[in-house]
Amino acid sequence: METTALVEVQNLFKRYTADSPYAVDGISFTIHTGELFSLLGPNGAGKTTAISVISTLLRPTAGAVRVDGYDVQRDPMAVRRVIGVVPQELALYDDLTAHENLRFWGEMRGLHGAELQSEIAAKLALIELTDRAKDRVGTFSGGMKRRLNLAVGLLGNPKLLMLDEPTVAIDPQSRRYILDWVKKLREQGVTILYTTHYMEEAQELSDRIGIIDHGKLIALGTLAELIQLVGQHETLRLQLLQEAGGAELAASLQSLEGVIQASATDGEVLVNVTSAEATLASIISTATGLGLSVRTIDIREPNLEAVFLHLTGRALRD
Amino acid sequence: MRKLMVLACKEVLVTFRDVGALVMMLVTPLALTLVMMAAFGRGGSTPLSAIPVLLLNRDTGALGEALTDIFFSPSLGDLVAPTLVEDEAAARARVEADEVAALVIIPTDFSARVFPLATRAQALVGMDVTAFSPAMSLTPEQMAGLAQAFLESQAPAAPVSVEIYASPNWRISTLVVKAIVSQGLERLNIQIAGMTNIVSRLVAGTLQANSSAADAATTIGAVLAETVDQETGDGAADADLPIKLHITSTTGRGFSWLDYYASSMAVLFLMFTVTSGGRTLLAERQRGTLPRLLISPTSALTVLLGKMGGSVLTGILQMLILWGATTLIGAYWGNPGGVLVAIVSLVMCASGVGALISAWATTPGQAGAIGSAVTLIGAALSGSFFVRWNLPPWVQYLSLVTPNAWGIEILSRLQAGRALTALLPWLGGVLGLTLVYYAGALVGFRRQFR
Repeated sequence: METTALVEVQNLFKRYTADSPYAVDGISFTIHTGELFSLLGPNGAGKTTAISVISTLLRPTAGAVRVDGYDVQRDPMAVRRVIGVVPQELALYDDLTAHENLRFWGEMRGLHGAELQSEIAAKLALIELTDRAKDRVGTFSGGMKRRLNLAVGLLGNPKLLMLDEPTVAIDPQSRRYILDWVKKLREQGVTILYTTHYMEEAQELSDRIGIIDHGKLIALGTLAELIQLVGQHETLRLQLLQEAGGAELAASLQSLEGVIQASATDGEVLVNVTSAEATLASIISTATGLGLSVRTIDIREPNLEAVFLHLTGRALRD
Repeated sequence: MRKLMVLACKEVLVTFRDVGALVMMLVTPLALTLVMMAAFGRGGSTPLSAIPVLLLNRDTGALGEALTDIFFSPSLGDLVAPTLVEDEAAARARVEADEVAALVIIPTDFSARVFPLATRAQALVGMDVTAFSPAMSLTPEQMAGLAQAFLESQAPAAPVSVEIYASPNWRISTLVVKAIVSQGLERLNIQIAGMTNIVSRLVAGTLQANSSAADAATTIGAVLAETVDQETGDGAADADLPIKLHITSTTGRGFSWLDYYASSMAVLFLMFTVTSGGRTLLAERQRGTLPRLLISPTSALTVLLGKMGGSVLTGILQMLILWGATTLIGAYWGNPGGVLVAIVSLVMCASGVGALISAWATTPGQAGAIGSAVTLIGAALSGSFFVRWNLPPWVQYLSLVTPNAWGIEILSRLQAGRALTALLPWLGGVLGLTLVYYAGALVGFRRQFR
């Protein structure tokens, strides 16, 4: 893999109004050519704002962003020529056919003539929609629209592809299709900036991961490097029979010996421990003491969930 | 430029593929035009009084005077305020200045050409055939003279025209004047038909050449009674007589409800289209296609101009289709070149309203509500539902802040036959209003896209 920096983000700040909090609060990172870099964080962490600044849609409040050597503020048009963006929304025209959508967005990228026709044919084949090319997008399933949305981002073979939560609100089959497709692109050497709040996706796809929370980049590195932050800890996932009481249990567990972090979310309690074997009995005893019944216990090896819990004291879905 | 065209064409394509939009843009205005025409087609429901009308009677015979007398009859006392004039140029100038609704011009030889028999009979035997009565008796010399006069009057004559020179701004009043003149001419036609029938029967042999004066009197009485019966019959008014009513305006054409509503409904629904076009910008922002456009290698200005261009193209196509469709059902829009210029100017101006709304509204729903309110209030103020000339003057002036009012004024003048050059001041007004709208939109867009 080349190590040339394609994206350089230096001390980036962004807030929407003068008196609002920073949506992006002084983040810095570099994405190398051919790398798949993920920004992982919960909803509202600042991922979309960061991607919007890098893609020139928003102006930074402070800091510098360069893409392929071009400054996003001073030369936004040059930046736009080398990037492709797949937004979270299905940014397509339902009243146009798949072919017309690709033609329109291709024209907007500056493609035309034989080059455009060739690109359209290639992208339709890539997303396996050649036989539906003349159908209006409004008649497509959610998964088909999502694939077309991806294909539009790839028109003109951009140097940097930015995917903003591309698997939100789709069925598991379409999600699997998209993840496999992203992996293929990565194998082809496309540089990708991928944002997600799904830990599993970041783990499966990424060369490097930046964990973002409340606008700050709280950790950055490869999966192995990030897990090192947690050490040889394990994570226990407790599912309770009762809907309420998780927060109370998490608070009680914090004082137990061997418990590093505990947090509750959606009827589950995540507990980061030094040793599951040593702490399990006292955890169950504490739950019973609070009148709570544990339905299932899941012991996990250290992962990004544990890293996030370790760094923020909260679960990723909080 | 290429991207701008692609953006504009995309807008048109998306709009014309939307069945709901097509119904709103094309079907509804056509249907409403027909309904309005059916409702107001005869124009009888509008309250009017003291319509100022000038009467120029150049005729030296009795019929011209009979026609002008109708305007002074007590039954029309409240409806019209007639004035006899002699100076045609001055009278026409008063019409052009909109001081009076119309000028009725009765030509010099009106009586002689309408009823030549009476003129010849008067000349040959000094007989006034309009004064026939059952009690009259005729001498053989008078009978011979009458026959001679009848024969001489049979030569075909060119139709004589009574001209109504009307102001395009007094459309309903013009219709009233037209109705009065038509009624008067019809009455004259019936009288002339009766007299001609009497004489033709006399001359054709009902009365023998050697009959006595007593026989003649009897025959005249019988024929006259028969003719009076016919006058009251259904077919009396249909007699083929050489009187034609020729209505002109200061520009050569008269008023038609179909013309008026064809153009005013088109303007109304153009406003719906362009305000809806403005809403699509906000909808695209919400849907995510606008941000995607703004991060493509396309400038924000091109995106905006493309969107607005699409709205303008859609509006022009809509107006052209409505122009064609209403022409097929008989509406007249005026000189085609002038109509084209008017449509383009008007659509540009109307799209400025759409731009202004989309620049300052924050959501598609808000833009839609504002657009509908602006369109409907503008339509009510400017005369899309009822003629604007019936509105109080201050409302008419107020309505000039809407493209509807300018559109209706310009298209009405074109329908009345005015040349494009005569409309330049109006087109200038539309241009000015367009600039004002777009300046306001520009400020709003700078706020949105900064």
